[in-house]
Amino acid sequence: MDEYLVQVLSNIGMISFLALSAYILLITGEISFGQQAFFAIGAYASGIATAMWGWGFWPGLVWGAAAAGAAAFLLAWPTLRMRGLFFAIGTLAFAEMVRLIFEIFRYQVEIDGELVGPNGSEGFRGIRYIFEQDISAFHYMLLIYAVLAGVLALLFVIERTRLGAIWRMLGEDELLAETEGVNRTYYKVLATVVAGAVAGIGGALYAHMNTYLEPKIFNVMLGVHSLAYGLIGGLGTAFGPLIGVGIDIGLLESARIFSGYRMIVFGGLVALLLIFRPRGLLDEAAVHALVAWWRNTFSSPAKRSGGSGRPPERPGA
Amino acid sequence: MIVDFVQNTLDGIFVGSSYSLLAIGFTLIFGVMRRLNLSYGPSIMLGTFAGTLLFVEFEAGLLAVAAATLAGAVLAGVYVERVCFWAIRRGAALASMVSSFAIWMQLEEIVTVVFPDRTYPFPPLADFALEPGPFFVRGDHLVMFACAAAITVLLHLLLYRTRFGLALRAVSRNPAAAAFVGINTGLVLFSAFALASAIGGVAGYLIAAADQQITPFFGLWATFKGLIAMTLGGMGSIPGAIAGGLLLGIIEAHSGWYLGTEYRDLSAYAVLFAFLVFRPGGLFAQRQTLRSQLAARRV
Amino acid sequence: MSETLLKVSDVATAYGAIEALKGVSLSAADGEITCLLGPNGAGKTTLMMTIAGILKPRRGSITLRGEEVAGRAPRHIVERGIALVPENRLVFPDMTVEENLRAGAFSRDDAAEIGRDVEAMFTRFPRLRERSAQNAGTLSGGEQQMLAISRALMARPKLLLMDEPSLGLAPLIVEDIFRIIRELNAEGTTIFLVEQNAHMALRIANHFYLIEQGRVVFDGTPGEVEEEEIIKRAYLGTEV
Repeated sequence: MDEYLVQVLSNIGMISFLALSAYILLITGEISFGQQAFFAIGAYASGIATAMWGWGFWPGLVWGAAAAGAAAFLLAWPTLRMRGLFFAIGTLAFAEMVRLIFEIFRYQVEIDGELVGPNGSEGFRGIRYIFEQDISAFHYMLLIYAVLAGVLALLFVIERTRLGAIWRMLGEDELLAETEGVNRTYYKVLATVVAGAVAGIGGALYAHMNTYLEPKIFNVMLGVHSLAYGLIGGLGTAFGPLIGVGIDIGLLESARIFSGYRMIVFGGLVALLLIFRPRGLLDEAAVHALVAWWRNTFSSPAKRSGGSGRPPERPGA
Repeated sequence: MIVDFVQNTLDGIFVGSSYSLLAIGFTLIFGVMRRLNLSYGPSIMLGTFAGTLLFVEFEAGLLAVAAATLAGAVLAGVYVERVCFWAIRRGAALASMVSSFAIWMQLEEIVTVVFPDRTYPFPPLADFALEPGPFFVRGDHLVMFACAAAITVLLHLLLYRTRFGLALRAVSRNPAAAAFVGINTGLVLFSAFALASAIGGVAGYLIAAADQQITPFFGLWATFKGLIAMTLGGMGSIPGAIAGGLLLGIIEAHSGWYLGTEYRDLSAYAVLFAFLVFRPGGLFAQRQTLRSQLAARRV
Repeated sequence: MSETLLKVSDVATAYGAIEALKGVSLSAADGEITCLLGPNGAGKTTLMMTIAGILKPRRGSITLRGEEVAGRAPRHIVERGIALVPENRLVFPDMTVEENLRAGAFSRDDAAEIGRDVEAMFTRFPRLRERSAQNAGTLSGGEQQMLAISRALMARPKLLLMDEPSLGLAPLIVEDIFRIIRELNAEGTTIFLVEQNAHMALRIANHFYLIEQGRVVFDGTPGEVEEEEIIKRAYLGTEV
């Protein structure tokens, strides 16, 4: 496989985690400008684990996700009372604080006569686990997509259960959900933690592919892009954000006709979509229509109806 | 010791007055629309590049550069208003915010395509300094402070002494009620946006002239400084924007001096976060700003 | 029978897919008080908002003295001579009483006349003069209602639309408001009134309409029909 293509596909895969992370919060009705912070925390934590503590890749990945989830848990409490705009600005302030802390965070050990570890704004060099294990870029790409498939499967299961229904209900009308007996605090914190962990996985994968982390790449631009992916692709299904990533990185960044003009096209595209399809390409209505079409075309009429369009059961407190 | 403290506070106030100017335009848009314009800084940035174009290519004078900066900022602002606010005025407020971010990306890239070098020179405005006693005050900072004060006064007169101001306040409080007393709400919103962009243009000109150079990153910087200052002061409040800007300047000056420059921005964000948690209505959180906060909650 | 001032023909207005007005036709005669009754959710406020131009009708025509105004911007409608006293008053809470009045005259540009009209409002409502420099948000409910009426009058309307002017007010104040409505009418302002308080409304109305689920179901002159029947129906939507 072409080296460039592998690289592009790997990028799409890794950024997808960030887009899914923003998507989870979007369906619960919150716009976060700060998911890149959890991506960064996952990247640093897993990099430290494999490069400095000698852990294996998988424990490192889990550790990265756990660290990001834990940070999200801490952030969830103070931001619980912030809504709408205030949540957006609060998460932005948090993410910038995390980035600036990584700019001054120094923690290095000597390994084989060489200093390894985060070195403030100089960055974090030598996350060489993949390189040392002789895993090819192609295999690493497969690994990224295997993990992504796992996370997607998990999200699809969630969307089919009461948890997914409650998340969407909170996104639709928080007040109504609460009068229906939904424990808002519990489900909001849970969504924040899951979103944080998903971003953390992406960060861990990113750290090991790049071998080098620089705090300044985890800036707000990264976060707002991942937010835009869900809004372009649509919020009807977890495939929506992936379509958004595909359009931006796959089409615009990689197709060289747009080189130098990518943001002019991408920005205009997002603005137009917000005017004509405010809930993205694959919005809820489109998803329902597609599901119905799929059923009519491919399944026997005897099969059960319902499914994704089913209204939530009455949830307990 | 005390001299350092006073000098830092002075520096903070003077730099902060430019933040105040940025925040006034920001808060004016938020106040009348209840929507956030993230493209505010990039519109100003585009204006400053229009100014530098005249300066570099045609060696234009100060006035021409200032006029071009203002015109560029207003034109970009009007574009943002049409695409991100007017076209989706019936949509969710957050849609405008995301859309304004998309246009930010566009504006930034348009500038980097036209101006491929990172840094461009900008003509200085007042190259002098005052040294009262042990202190040091830059002339351009004094000009900045004077302009901030003058614009505050003018804006107050406009809001409370003119028909347009009456309409603006009516629309910002209750657009439906403003419509049925016969106010052309669309035109008022458009004019407020243009006015805010013009104020932003003035801020951009003064800041660029003080720095004597500009980069495309100026957009991000201006949006963030304006946003932080506005939030500290209470979103939608003009006195709040002024106080928030000064507070931000003072926080930055002191934390940069006592903790080290790498803690400058970190302290500013920490204070912002603390305000959002403990005092979301901002410095002057009272009944009035509390109400606008409640209004914003449904955003 | 006097001349028709307002004529609404087959007006339908919808919020998204939900049609709140399903073809309403009615008229208001010049110099009279016309009253619109009906249960909650019947579409009364929607009709007022549609006439005032805040909502755009899907179809139908609204004419003021023969001139079509349906679908025009609110400011054109105010200029043609229709002013609205909205439900829940909706004064501008952080503007002073006097500024609220001046905002009401926004469709006019005769500064001297506007000043005289402000003075006239203060003479009619002395309480407003006492509080002229106070923010409108600090006024009591009854005072806010008077302010909302005065604000609408500042446009010098031919037709005054009043949406639930007695809503949430103490009985004594309600008496006051209805006295004012009669006074205004006696001075020549045509009034189109939406009221929940059917007893009071029927006492002052020259003509009334009953609206249910977005349709006019009955109209008549108070006294023609048993008042109790109309009231029952206005509240409950039961058959006459």
